Amino acid sequence: MSFHDAVQWLAETQVSTALREDPYPYPVLGTIHVLSIALFGGMIAMGNLRVLGYAMRDVPVSQVIDQFRPWKWTGFAMLAASGLLLTLSEPLDCYESIFFWISLVLLVLVGINAWIFHAGIYRRVADWDTAQIAPAPARRWAWISLTLWIALVFAGRLIAFA
Amino acid sequence: MIIELTQAGSDLSLNPINRWVWVFPVVESIHICGFALLVGSIAILDLRLSDLVLTRQSTAQLANLLAPWIYLGLAAQFITGPYLFSSSPHDYLHNPSFRMKMMFLAAALLFHFTAVRGAARTPQPLAPAWRRFVAFVSMGLWVCVILGGLGIGFWSVND
Repeated sequence: MSFHDAVQWLAETQVSTALREDPYPYPVLGTIHVLSIALFGGMIAMGNLRVLGYAMRDVPVSQVIDQFRPWKWTGFAMLAASGLLLTLSEPLDCYESIFFWISLVLLVLVGINAWIFHAGIYRRVADWDTAQIAPAPARRWAWISLTLWIALVFAGRLIAFA
Repeated sequence: MIIELTQAGSDLSLNPINRWVWVFPVVESIHICGFALLVGSIAILDLRLSDLVLTRQSTAQLANLLAPWIYLGLAAQFITGPYLFSSSPHDYLHNPSFRMKMMFLAAALLFHFTAVRGAARTPQPLAPAWRRFVAFVSMGLWVCVILGGLGIGFWSVND
């Protein structure tokens, strides 16, 4: 069985058919997906902008990063769960969309980028916590993070387009 | 250029958003990013009003720190939104979801610049229950704006 056959099989399962054909799943999943972009994306953006020294300069970096964390995880869980179900509703369209695969690659990259930050420069955050502008490695990380997330919004939106 | 834009006003097919299929999803992606900035910043302020994040900063301080980002998000939305609208004004005006979205948008903005700001900046401290109530109404109104926006796509039937 090729990978395409597996996707075909997935599309014909009861769950996939129900998600695709029932009137309610799509608007509900879409709403959850967009809501979590506001919660999660807004906090990601503010965290990055704080590190860059553009937003909330008077608030220590660790307070922004640590206190947003539970909300970011909540948002991410909602985003991932609704995204997974949206994928399950149209497995063949996703399989054929170049932007779906770009989204997945970007998702892996944001994961690696976040890990690099937390395992690296953020461990010594006490040294630069109250600095209005974070040290260069942290700023580089924040620029990469912002760029990847914005690219992910574009790629995610374009799945429905091509 | 100017002639082309003027004509675009009368002939919708000349509008770049209708000439190339990728313009709409790209502008819509910018609209989503601007929305994350706008509603995300407001959500942070609402969470602060509910004493759920950044409690070491005063609500007034946080309102001031977030204000420029709320304005920037609003600017992005008021540029990309009307441009998306220009792709087919007639359809949007007759779309019940679009009308609902605009109503809730007006209500959400009005509520933000009066009640939310007022609650965050008032010199006399407000009871926590009142601050939570204001934050809750604010988030509820923005959720309705999102619902309206998503609904536009489901009512794309021309009349």
